[in-house]
Amino acid sequence: MIVADKKPIEEIIEQVKDKKTVLVLGCNECVTVCEAGGKKEVGILASALRMYFLNQGQEIKIDEVTLERQCDHEYLEEIRDVIDRYDAVVSIACGVGVQFMAEKYHSTPIFPGVNTCFLGVTEERGLWTERCQACGSCILATTGGICPVSRCAKRLLNGPCGGSTGGKCEISKEVDCAWQLIVDRLKALDKMDDFETIAPVKDWSTDRAGGPRKVNREDVQP
Amino acid sequence: MQLKRKFETGEFAVLAEIEPPKGVDTSRMLASVKRVKGNVDAFVVPEMSNAVMRMSSLGGAMILQGLGVETVVQVCCRDRNRLALQADLLAASGCGICNVMAVTGEDPSYGDHHQARPVYDIDIFELLQAVQSLQSGRDMAGIEIGGAPEFMVGSTVNAGARGKSPELELEEMNKKMAAGAKFFITPPVFDKTALDPFLKRVDRSRAIIVPTVLLLKSLGMARYIQRNMEHVYIPDELIDRIRKAPDKVRECIHIAAQLITTLKQEGFHGVLIATLGWEDRLPEILELT
Repeated sequence: MIVADKKPIEEIIEQVKDKKTVLVLGCNECVTVCEAGGKKEVGILASALRMYFLNQGQEIKIDEVTLERQCDHEYLEEIRDVIDRYDAVVSIACGVGVQFMAEKYHSTPIFPGVNTCFLGVTEERGLWTERCQACGSCILATTGGICPVSRCAKRLLNGPCGGSTGGKCEISKEVDCAWQLIVDRLKALDKMDDFETIAPVKDWSTDRAGGPRKVNREDVQP
Repeated sequence: MQLKRKFETGEFAVLAEIEPPKGVDTSRMLASVKRVKGNVDAFVVPEMSNAVMRMSSLGGAMILQGLGVETVVQVCCRDRNRLALQADLLAASGCGICNVMAVTGEDPSYGDHHQARPVYDIDIFELLQAVQSLQSGRDMAGIEIGGAPEFMVGSTVNAGARGKSPELELEEMNKKMAAGAKFFITPPVFDKTALDPFLKRVDRSRAIIVPTVLLLKSLGMARYIQRNMEHVYIPDELIDRIRKAPDKVRECIHIAAQLITTLKQEGFHGVLIATLGWEDRLPEILELT
């Protein structure tokens, strides 16, 4: 899933302080799972903003809506009838949702209410960690199912580097060395031959290097 | 320092572009520079233009400085992060290079290593600010450095480029000036009037605008540019002129020389002559101006 984290409320206040009517717009998907932008967080953020502006003696009407998704036209259309009532929207979906909203509703300012962080997993409640950088050309088949692009600090495709000590990365003792994990896993799979082969130079054109990407699937298009 | 002096006194400066080799054989580059060094104030050494891998601008410039000529080294956001860019700037200064030009760099997909991941750790404005910071004795992390470099700082401006808004270009140039850029090199100009909408909005006592004069090599090249390089304007009359000429190369040299003369008369601070490997034609062009 896409993992996001709450933005400092001061940043959001700065964006909306001159508005009279604000919609806090949540998303029922990834950001709900990582407890940053779902219905519950919409309520918390809206309450916090109301309280702040009340204390400031400012009258700002703050409404709450949570959509099923903010990355699909059909769900964004649900607010078309009400969007003109608002001077601004604080979207607490990921950056994708914020942008799709901005594309759809040209004349309404859309502000991000979360920081979109990475593609990751829930290790335990309150702890989400990165697993994928969406490089567009998956190499997990040869790295024991552990991604060096997202998990090695240097994105080395032929690791580990000299900074790997006791299974930990040189950037922090808290961070596992991705290549130690890969080696351990390849050993468990009896696939150390994969480790001994030098990985070919990566084609980064499928990553952001080739500009904004698109997946164009004619087979599923109407 | 010749370039700085000329820019400051308003004397017309002649810059020439000289591509470093794709390889280590610098003999051609050196021979070209030796032939024209008396007529050129500074040599602009591109940093892997069009994202084609070749010897770096800093490397090429250092080699040319060995001939006693003045160079303009390019620093490019595409291939280096802030550590490397600052390190190269210090190295350039340490090697006696006193002119730098900040460029964004074309996307790797234009070049010959299209699978490469571009860097763009900082953009051109941040890079210009970094140069300013180094010149004031501190690096981008705010740490004091031992001895500050001094550069004549330049960048690019899309003046006269088709499909660009002159207002936006001006705004961008003003931002670059605020970040420390003093001189601005334009894309190739084939008709001085193409610059007019931009120039009308520019205070030329503040901004040093240096148009690029690109030497056409053939009718085919002129037509190719006209058809494929949307931002460059080549008038139909120019194409006709080359087409009708019995000696097309000679005509192209005349065209470049006439344009340089016009730009000089129009009060530009200088011109950058780009010959794309035909540096040996530079003396002929300059003789005609």
